[in-house]
Amino acid sequence: MAQGANKHTRLTRVRNVIRKLCSTPLGLISVIVVTAFFVVGITGDWIAPYDPIKLDIRAKLQGPTAAHWLGTDQVGRDVFSRLLVGTKVASYLAVTAVSISLTIGIFLGMIAAFTSRWVDWSMLLIFDTVRSFPILMFALAVIALFGPSVNTIIGIVVISTFPSYARLVRTQVLSLRNAEYIEAQRAMGASLPRILMRHIFPNVIGPVMIVASMDIPLVIGVEAGLSFLGLGVRPPTPSWGTILNDGFSFIRNTPWIVVSAGLPLILTTVAFTTLGERLRDILDPKLRR
Amino acid sequence: MTEHTPLVEINDLAIKFGAHTAVNNVTMDIGRGRIMGLVGESGSGKSTIANAIIGLLPHAAQISNGSLRFDGRDLLSFTAQDWGKIRGKDVAYVSQDPMSALNPVLRIGEQMLDIQHLSDQSNTEKLANALAALEQVRMPQAQARLSMYPHELSGGQKQRVCIAMVIMARPKLLITDEATTALDATLEVEIVRLLKELQTDIGCTMLFVTHHLTVVEELCDDVTVMYQGDIKECGTVADVFSNPSDTYTSNLLSCDPSRIEEKCRRLPIMFNLGLKELADPETDRNRINNTSRPLLSVRHLDVTFRKPRSLIDILTGKPEQRVEAVKAASLDIAPGETVALIGESGSGKSTLARAAFRLVPSEKGEIDFDGTDLLSITNAEMRPFRNEMSLMMQDPIGSLSPRMRVGTSVIEPLIVSGKASGLNLRDEAIRLLELVGLSTDFVDRYPHEMSGGQARRVGVARALALRPKMIIADEPTAGLDVSIQGEIFNLLAELRESMSLSILIITHNLHVVRHLADRMVIMYHGEIVETGTTENVIRAPKHAYTKVLLEANLHAKYGV
Amino acid sequence: MLAYAIQRIIVSILIIILAVTALFVMIQFVPGDPANVMLGPRATPELKEALRERLHLNDAFIVQVYYFFTGLLQGDLGVDLTSNRPVLGILIEQVPYTASLVASTLLVTLLGIPIGTYAAVHRDGFFDQASGVVSVSLIAVPPIVIGLYLILFFSVSLQLLPAIGAGEGFWEILLHLVLPTLAIGLTWIGYVSRLVRASMIEVLGQNHVKTARAFGIPNQRILRAYVLRVALPATITVLGVSIGFILSSAVIVEIVFSRPGIGKLMYDAVISRNYPVVMGTVLASTVFIVTATTISDLLNVMLDPRTKDEN
Repeated sequence: MAQGANKHTRLTRVRNVIRKLCSTPLGLISVIVVTAFFVVGITGDWIAPYDPIKLDIRAKLQGPTAAHWLGTDQVGRDVFSRLLVGTKVASYLAVTAVSISLTIGIFLGMIAAFTSRWVDWSMLLIFDTVRSFPILMFALAVIALFGPSVNTIIGIVVISTFPSYARLVRTQVLSLRNAEYIEAQRAMGASLPRILMRHIFPNVIGPVMIVASMDIPLVIGVEAGLSFLGLGVRPPTPSWGTILNDGFSFIRNTPWIVVSAGLPLILTTVAFTTLGERLRDILDPKLRR
Repeated sequence: MTEHTPLVEINDLAIKFGAHTAVNNVTMDIGRGRIMGLVGESGSGKSTIANAIIGLLPHAAQISNGSLRFDGRDLLSFTAQDWGKIRGKDVAYVSQDPMSALNPVLRIGEQMLDIQHLSDQSNTEKLANALAALEQVRMPQAQARLSMYPHELSGGQKQRVCIAMVIMARPKLLITDEATTALDATLEVEIVRLLKELQTDIGCTMLFVTHHLTVVEELCDDVTVMYQGDIKECGTVADVFSNPSDTYTSNLLSCDPSRIEEKCRRLPIMFNLGLKELADPETDRNRINNTSRPLLSVRHLDVTFRKPRSLIDILTGKPEQRVEAVKAASLDIAPGETVALIGESGSGKSTLARAAFRLVPSEKGEIDFDGTDLLSITNAEMRPFRNEMSLMMQDPIGSLSPRMRVGTSVIEPLIVSGKASGLNLRDEAIRLLELVGLSTDFVDRYPHEMSGGQARRVGVARALALRPKMIIADEPTAGLDVSIQGEIFNLLAELRESMSLSILIITHNLHVVRHLADRMVIMYHGEIVETGTTENVIRAPKHAYTKVLLEANLHAKYGV
Repeated sequence: MLAYAIQRIIVSILIIILAVTALFVMIQFVPGDPANVMLGPRATPELKEALRERLHLNDAFIVQVYYFFTGLLQGDLGVDLTSNRPVLGILIEQVPYTASLVASTLLVTLLGIPIGTYAAVHRDGFFDQASGVVSVSLIAVPPIVIGLYLILFFSVSLQLLPAIGAGEGFWEILLHLVLPTLAIGLTWIGYVSRLVRASMIEVLGQNHVKTARAFGIPNQRILRAYVLRVALPATITVLGVSIGFILSSAVIVEIVFSRPGIGKLMYDAVISRNYPVVMGTVLASTVFIVTATTISDLLNVMLDPRTKDEN
């Protein structure tokens, strides 16, 4: 019963969480937007109404029309399609960077929690050092040295964000280590790997997921910022940041490019942040007052 | 207002929290100059009433009916300004948790200055008042304490500070909400004595909210008994305690293990008083197998904790701080015997038990379990022994993994020890739960969905999963209402008979242990100061500390 | 207290040393010959050799490290490649612009504290609900977008506020600070006010506040000494950490608003591969951030004496 029941309970638990997430209107919207983000990220190329890099100078700098829902940019490309395809870059970056960062962070955090005081102390020192670099400046420095590319950006984001996961995991594990039910496990003679997997990990993964969901907008923002500066993805690949830059250059001609390019950024930030906060409310048993 | 009207008049008061009624149209009076005990178990509504009288009900509470008068004034119509005038002056409140009642970021002296906000004396004079109050509550090194922060004080000292603050206020009405519940018995006795002196000194009226019936008997003049929002009985202590007219009250009194003089095999419980059975010395002797070697034998065990040094300490060459938690402790438990390890907080009893289990490393000594020296084997070899000795932990709900269902938690020892193959685990879980009196539907519940008593039973079930020879029970009755304590007691008593279990109970609750234990081992500051059979130790304690302990817990009733 | 302060400062110094080392190591990984990269393919071999000598590139690794650190301690952050001026000097010129931006942003962010406090004390009232909605929406918009939208609205459409440059003269400077500050600060006001509200509500429900009220201590005193002082440390920690993010956002904001400052300096340097300036700027920023977090930690310990024992 134990193994089978736990598979069953894990699935139902996830389903329960999702159900609770969708129970409020704001929660529902955020779940929809997040799903849309990933879906468009994969299918963007196919569902875009226009070819995002095709020029059409005659139609340049138009506001929203029936043909071009969000208008056109300075060389006549359809902004809406470009934004859709730009989702690819954003989602790829977000997923890759955050997953790698998560994995490294959890791994290092667990090590730090179980190792000797001195190793733990040195690891904390390293985490704090990395956190002292302002992320965008650090990104600029690395790009100056190694040139802009998607992988460089991923590397920068991973290095800048893994310390917060590591610290979080370490704190959680340290406090759980002294929890009574962990002691009960040790009294039973449970082995360390078992305690880690069955008892510590499930309780740690919740807060980590919450931080991850709030980090995704940060990653998207960094990419957008870098692309805005021309140091992110290379043209003609559309990215929300490059579209913003185009809009900025032509801000006195038409406001629509800037406005449109801001929309996906706002939407994703709202959705992921709301998701994170709702997750926190749902997963924290102490908040059941 | 004449001097004979009650100080507090409550009429038909109803307080709700959403749909839940905490106080159900309650009518009671508190007479001037009297000490009123407000007694009830958790959920009775007694704290809610106390909070209402000082106007500090939580955000979610609504007063839906009734009136509440203090000294003739209508409290329900009070504005914030009105409250500001009487709080700390006419009405004072000492809260339940002394650990958190003091502001953690201000020094004690500063906080005691704040209390005197209504007086126009100079700061020096106010500090002098504070010092005098601290001395009155017998705070050691009172002058030094004024410049300390709360976290530098022990729990008992913090409680003294709270009472000192109240002394300075010289209120007409003093409300104490479970002020002594969290304290060790010896400390509780002192605080109660202090409160009594205070009352005689100032002549104030007191509302003493608690669930400790014995304290009420000693301290209070009147008593009101509550159950689930209703008043079951009220009257003078003398009347109610000797001749209760309400069934709930009389049940409560009969079930209190501290009021049952003779040693019992089974204690009466709230809804089945008939369970009571006196202990039979013959049966007890037969249960214990004294002839063969003891099941567990601990010899000269030392356990020391080292406090890790910070960077600065290492640089300045400060030596490591060591705390000797257990010093040269020796203890035997025969098969079938129940031994109580008794001490107050900090005595080392929990540490000793955990060391016997090798959950905590020990420096010196021997631990012999059924012929094997546990200290000489490896961790892996220790595993099978963990099946024979199982541990039941203090926090009933906290000792269960919060994301695991009860059914899974209960059979987990089987999985861990590798004995789960070939067994239908769900059936095993049901069997174990039935053994402790829980129905089948508990199998799918989560820990936070149960009451403390139910969770405690699950802990027992889990401890029994591998049919151990011995159970170590850490404070099995802590945090449970008195009526539930009896149920757990009966459960353990039954199990030890049917399964020939040895039990090592770690506790400071002498009342229950007196009935359950064959032998008592008293610990003080890490050392075992006395051992003996329960009757002998209680009748004729030899060590000074034992005498103090017994007096505090069992009061003078037992001829100490 | 003193012991904790010393310990904390030692740790900060260690962090700075580690950060500098990391940067130094990073530089070593630049592909290709640095002299070639810096001077371009058309430089003569003599020029390149001269550069290598000057930058100690031919010496052993340890020697390079030695020169690097001693140079740093003397304030030598290298020399700007195009103008040959010392990097430190260039930085000092640009710092005031960025500093004023960061300072005004911090000031604006501090507004979040009274907003959050009021919302917590008058919980579920109109102000609380309104500010809640506004805060949550503000948090959600990244500074870059806010900046651009603000320019669109206030500069382009309404022609009310300037969008370019830093201005001369006191009032002009102030006017030019408005939009950039709001671009970064609006998000942070929202965030801080939510945080303060949450921690205040938690503290307001705590036992010592209840006890203080039971003794009739005046509300003002309770708010200051019993609630804020206990709730503030969490907020201060966040503010300390926020400086790093504010600095990052300042880079973008300076470009968007064409303001002079460290951000623009760095951007130009990156484009022109002016490594000393790039490294010098990152270094200076890191030192600044470490100092800010150390100060906020020490401030916390002063407010809440329990924290030093937790370390």
